[in-house]
Amino acid sequence: MYQYDAVDQDFVADRAREFREQVARRLSGELSEDQFKTLRLMNGLYLQLHAYMLRIAIPYGSLNSRQMRRLAHIGRTYDRGYGHFTTRQNLQFHWIKLRDAPDILDQLAEVNMHAIQTSGNCIRNVTSDPYAGATAEELDDPRVWSEAIRQWSSLHPEFSFLPRKFKIAITAAPKDRTAAKVHDIGLMIRRGRDGQLGFEVIVGGGLGRTPYVGPTISEFLPANRLFSYLEAILRVYNRHGRRDNIYKARIKILVAALGAEEFARQVAEEWAKIGPEGDLPDTELARIRGAFAAAAFDPLPARSEVFEAAKAADPALARFARNNLRPHKKPGYAIVEVSLKTIGETPGDATSDQMDVIADLAERYGQDDIRVTHEQNLVLPHVRLDDVPEVFAQLQAAGLASANVNLISDIIACPGLDYCALANARAIPVAQQIAQTFADPDRAEAIGELKIKISGCINACGHHHVGHIGILGVDKKGEEFYQLTLGGSGAEDAAVGKMLGPALPYDKVAGAIDTLVEVYLRERREGERFLDTYRRTGVEPFKEAVYADAH
Amino acid sequence: MKALTANRLIDGDVVFWKAGTWVERFADADLFDDAEAAEAAEGKAKSQPTVVIDPYLIDLMESDGLWAPLSYRERIRALGPTNHPAHGKQAEGGEVIEALLSADGAARSSGRVNLIKRK
Repeated sequence: MYQYDAVDQDFVADRAREFREQVARRLSGELSEDQFKTLRLMNGLYLQLHAYMLRIAIPYGSLNSRQMRRLAHIGRTYDRGYGHFTTRQNLQFHWIKLRDAPDILDQLAEVNMHAIQTSGNCIRNVTSDPYAGATAEELDDPRVWSEAIRQWSSLHPEFSFLPRKFKIAITAAPKDRTAAKVHDIGLMIRRGRDGQLGFEVIVGGGLGRTPYVGPTISEFLPANRLFSYLEAILRVYNRHGRRDNIYKARIKILVAALGAEEFARQVAEEWAKIGPEGDLPDTELARIRGAFAAAAFDPLPARSEVFEAAKAADPALARFARNNLRPHKKPGYAIVEVSLKTIGETPGDATSDQMDVIADLAERYGQDDIRVTHEQNLVLPHVRLDDVPEVFAQLQAAGLASANVNLISDIIACPGLDYCALANARAIPVAQQIAQTFADPDRAEAIGELKIKISGCINACGHHHVGHIGILGVDKKGEEFYQLTLGGSGAEDAAVGKMLGPALPYDKVAGAIDTLVEVYLRERREGERFLDTYRRTGVEPFKEAVYADAH
Repeated sequence: MKALTANRLIDGDVVFWKAGTWVERFADADLFDDAEAAEAAEGKAKSQPTVVIDPYLIDLMESDGLWAPLSYRERIRALGPTNHPAHGKQAEGGEVIEALLSADGAARSSGRVNLIKRK
């Protein structure tokens, strides 16, 4: 993985020192809350319901065991022994004290981490494929481009005060694990007819109040022209984005207002002015690429007898293998997904002890490599099949072996009203109730892939618009109610879900999901996922069943 | 009936006004049945910007013969997150905590709405 050089290290350490001074000035009264708020948000520190929340950047969801152990230590020392992995592949601590924040930033800086640009109207942490460097599906390693964008966008003076926040996702595989089409910019690495690498550039996707699947404005942008093109997009947005209205300030509104074609024309015009001088020199790209050189994989047979024997002897391991293991590009290896969706627990939460276990496993069995997925799970991307039984046993002992990745209990949920100052309704307990309803692993497997995503307000941190079943918490005459949407997808077949009908009260949601699943099981044809059945039948059979039950 | 709440600057903890100072437990908070007294306290609280952030008045309702915040959001602030019963002030227990836990109905926090409007 990329290691900070001396300049990076000094910069992050300086920034932590600067924040220490700012905190001291706030506490002494030299800075007012209004003055300080901007500064703390530039360091990822929010004030929420019960305490401060610190959002720590995990660049493109990639971290090593030393960093994970440091996060565990911070959780144990300054929080309540746990952390919350988010849909932007970051980590949030929910019980932080302002007086401790400078020490925490120092501790992060020591392991090449920080909380810069995890808030504010700037380019946020780049989202990328958690299987990068491990999957045979990819055309290139998207981490190379993610890291280059991270460096380019960090404290970029022109793009530090955009009309609104700005999120970029990059995937290099046909199977999109980044929700690229609902980002401000989605980059999909493509190979041209002449074999050259390039990007399909999608702009103006987004969730929140006004969800859009972004249109493609360039089918094939040569890879070496990426940075001048990104600059052109951001320049057009910076110039014309709606700074007068926060609800219309995201680039998606501008792209929709101008139309994709006109927006693309303006970008092309700006791009011509910038020219190749705005691009990353090949030498710099090569330097960054060097940091992601393929790890040394042992030559192994594709089939591991150790693994096969262990699976045959242990149905739990066999189930884990079916649901949580993915093919690796190298024979004899697997990508291991670690579900943070243990039935009854908070989606995305990991205790400090669990973080330490993951760090140990990564160090011992996984080439010191850990990933965070945008679906709030963790990944050990390079595990030998021979080692999977031992990794599984240790995950089991740590309460991390839920074999439910992509199944109905693998639910995304934002912190909701239990923590968040913006929320209208709780999301976590709804996720817990649904997971408990589908706790039977055989039933969950029989249902198959079904993505439920829950947000506690319209800002959609829980990505509800792109859930196969989306759940949005609303405040209806002072009570928690939940609007259900069906048919959304954040993957390569991206779509915004359609509303099922009137919102349901808190205690009816899990039952309604059960009803939706029963309709799916009744209606589905061979090989259909929930989403496929919904797309074939439309909303009617689902609507009829849920509202017949509700009345 | 009203109470005055804020988050404490140094640690973000939820605090309540009591006789010119701030306490951590809702059970210890001053309760105002006189609007003028409540607003006067709010005014004094706002003159403590190095102690608390954004003080505001919240409406209360009766629950189990005691007073509880009317808004569900404010009850969660006074108790802690519902997914972690051992976290937040609810962990302490006691009759006021029980009254908050059994309070029914949810409403927007009127104090918070005023805060948003002001910004």
